[in-house]
Amino acid sequence: MGSYLIRRILRTVLVMLGISVVVFVFVRSIPGDPAVAMLGERATPAAAAALREQLGLNKPWFFNPANPMDAQYPKYIGALLQGDLGSGLKSNIPVVNELKTRFPATAELSVAALLFALVVGMPAGILAALRRNSAWDNLATGISLVGVSMPVFWLGLLLSYFFAVKLGWLPPSARLGYEFTIQPITGFYLIDSVLRGNAGAFWDALKHLILPAIALGSIPLAIISRITRSSLLDVLGQDYVRTARAKGLAPNSVTIKHALRNALLPVVTVIGLQAGALLGGAVLTETIFSWPGIGSWVYEAIAQRDYPIIQGGVIFAALVVSVVNLLVDLSYAALDPRIQYG
Amino acid sequence: MKKLILTALLATLPAASAATLVFGNNGEPVSLESGNITDGISILVQRQIYDTLIDFKDGTTDLTPGLATSWTPNANSTAWTFKLRPNVKFHDGTPMNADAIVFNLRRWWDKADAYGFRDQGRTFEIVGDLLGGFKGDPTAVIKDIVKVDNMTVRVDLTKSSTVLPNVLAAGYFGIASPTAIKKDGAKYGTPASKAVGTGPFIFQSWTTGDRVTLSPNKSYWGVKAKVDGLVIRSIKDASQRLNEMKAGTIDFANDLTPDSLKSVQADKNLVAVKRPSFNVGFVSMNNNNQYLKNQKVRQAISMAINKKAIVEAFWNGLAVSNASFVPPVLAWANSSKVPADYKFDPAAAKKMLADAGYPNGFAIDLWYMPVSRPYFPNPKPIAEAMAADLSAIGIKVNLKTEDWAKYLQDRNATPGFDMYMIGWTGDYGDPDNFYGAYYGENGSSDISWNPPEIQKLLEQGRAAATQAAKAKIYSQLQELTYDAAYRVPIAHSQPLAAARSYVKGWIPSPLGSEAFNTIDISGKK
Repeated sequence: MGSYLIRRILRTVLVMLGISVVVFVFVRSIPGDPAVAMLGERATPAAAAALREQLGLNKPWFFNPANPMDAQYPKYIGALLQGDLGSGLKSNIPVVNELKTRFPATAELSVAALLFALVVGMPAGILAALRRNSAWDNLATGISLVGVSMPVFWLGLLLSYFFAVKLGWLPPSARLGYEFTIQPITGFYLIDSVLRGNAGAFWDALKHLILPAIALGSIPLAIISRITRSSLLDVLGQDYVRTARAKGLAPNSVTIKHALRNALLPVVTVIGLQAGALLGGAVLTETIFSWPGIGSWVYEAIAQRDYPIIQGGVIFAALVVSVVNLLVDLSYAALDPRIQYG
Repeated sequence: MKKLILTALLATLPAASAATLVFGNNGEPVSLESGNITDGISILVQRQIYDTLIDFKDGTTDLTPGLATSWTPNANSTAWTFKLRPNVKFHDGTPMNADAIVFNLRRWWDKADAYGFRDQGRTFEIVGDLLGGFKGDPTAVIKDIVKVDNMTVRVDLTKSSTVLPNVLAAGYFGIASPTAIKKDGAKYGTPASKAVGTGPFIFQSWTTGDRVTLSPNKSYWGVKAKVDGLVIRSIKDASQRLNEMKAGTIDFANDLTPDSLKSVQADKNLVAVKRPSFNVGFVSMNNNNQYLKNQKVRQAISMAINKKAIVEAFWNGLAVSNASFVPPVLAWANSSKVPADYKFDPAAAKKMLADAGYPNGFAIDLWYMPVSRPYFPNPKPIAEAMAADLSAIGIKVNLKTEDWAKYLQDRNATPGFDMYMIGWTGDYGDPDNFYGAYYGENGSSDISWNPPEIQKLLEQGRAAATQAAKAKIYSQLQELTYDAAYRVPIAHSQPLAAARSYVKGWIPSPLGSEAFNTIDISGKK
């Protein structure tokens, strides 16, 4: 297990280095350069050329024959190895600083969305499997169909309009009302407000979290409920379940102890995959709900061709996905004793 | 217990503190360092914190004293002397004086200035854009910046310019505390530092992606803020800004889409606010194109587009269709000899096209912008409408678009786009700001047409001492460009804003940002 972990971590480091090269080349290959994007309508060729020079974007990418270290990538990777991802081209805000405040926001939203998807999606899937072809089954199928097919931004705006504007129950957007401030500890507002003993801020943060979490969780919910249903149906048809029933075990005990545990394996895989998808879905959800996370930030940066932010964001997201995948692999072993790593 | 939690959970939002003013900005500021940013979102926040040397009268583009109480040119306008307002202090308590002004101007203009932090990514590109370049550049307008005495600063120029006071009044050039900049160094202007100006509001905090919190400057030299606090929230999505306003979680907001006008008017708690127009959306035609080379073809196209119908259909009445190249505020710069634009006359257009030798028309590309801008809130349907108008006279239009950054780059490439949509929002109230951006030596190279007489007129306009003299010069410029018909002005839009009905005293500036110290929300419950 230990050596497996070390190998996995080493591999992750190599993958990260590879990604840094790929993303470095990739962002610079997108047509339209940062100087032009920054200048907008003001971007005359002369102004853009001058700005490009000031930003150091006219330097060679990998190798400068005149001065080997005076190229963009060696400088970038040199700083990266010291944990410095550079600063936003225009804002001059260090990318690392932004990641520190924005990642917890995205993580809190993603975790909430995933919890919502699990808490609603798994029981719905279980119920649908146990009452196959019943009204429950049809309802669950219908809901997951809507969940998968409705665009996130549309659902987000609808939720916001209905629950915030029409009913006035929940705030339309943002992460916290302006009446509150939470001094960050973990960056998760729900946790920090509890640690700081600020009940008002906790409720406010929770209220702000509900709508975006539902919007972001809608697709994983649909997928999780479908996978749970089919996986459970599959297991329920297996011989050992029939045997357990024949032995006279209580039906609930059969379902929970025998069938469900085995049916969970594909669900865990899907959760792992969804963790990556959540980062993508967060782009729209964060934009709609003015959520100060990574998704909307990197999206803006792409439109602006803000290379350091795009690079930093992608490398960081890749790291998160790698870590989640590792955790998923490790949880397989916990769920299924037949799977062993060594 | 469950019920209790649910009630607590779903309880309506806590009543807002009555005196905190909350604004929905259309995005996140890039930086709070003045002189180093051009986006309207950042400028709006900066405008609350900083004063400029010269200001604009509320709701207009006319100059009024700011940190300078007077500004006087020498005989040929090659040097401007600024007398400073006495007893003004920065938010950190340090005095605003000639040293502070020279410090600010120099760090923007002098590439070698130690406090410009250019080695750490600062570019101050707006200085290059509006003032012809930086210290030592052959086209730079500023020759030197001199402290005359403790409360007097002189700016020496390389050539006559009557535009300088207008440029320095633009929201980009807020005066910051030298002490604060020296203290925070290259961090200044980022969320990790404190932006320090002399303006009506004092910076408190900046939560990135979320909000900037400000408090009123109790010792402000001008109109003191009437609120206890100001929160500027970043709400990128226009529908969500409207939702927030309807829900009462923000008091007022900018940049709503024209089609939300009805929704605003239908809500008795909201008031629609039209920002005075100070922009122009137009179509540019490229001299490199074999058909568009022909003046008659360009004039035919100008006549074939039904601008009035387009404005009614896509701006919801929030625009002026009888558009010249400069917005209505600058109408004094228009000629009385030519109309503002070509009259819609498809029959005449068809005849003109036949005269040009194309009775059966031809095919051409029209590029529309992939993004919404105040001057073209809805580029694609507008382009489709123009294409339909042109097809009526036999010109087959292929609609094209691409990513905005690429679009901006490709339009200036050679040969460039045949026809494309673009526009401009002004920085200050001088016609040079519009014409100079698209013609002349600092202009765009998108149409490959830049005759020397235009260059000459632009130079004369910049040096003309009075508005009457400028009017004469720009009239000639308008006549020239009207006849040439390379650019078809489509509309001057009035960007839509809205406020809760208790928001009183908000005077939107045509320039896009204004200080919020005039706003009273005492009716807010």
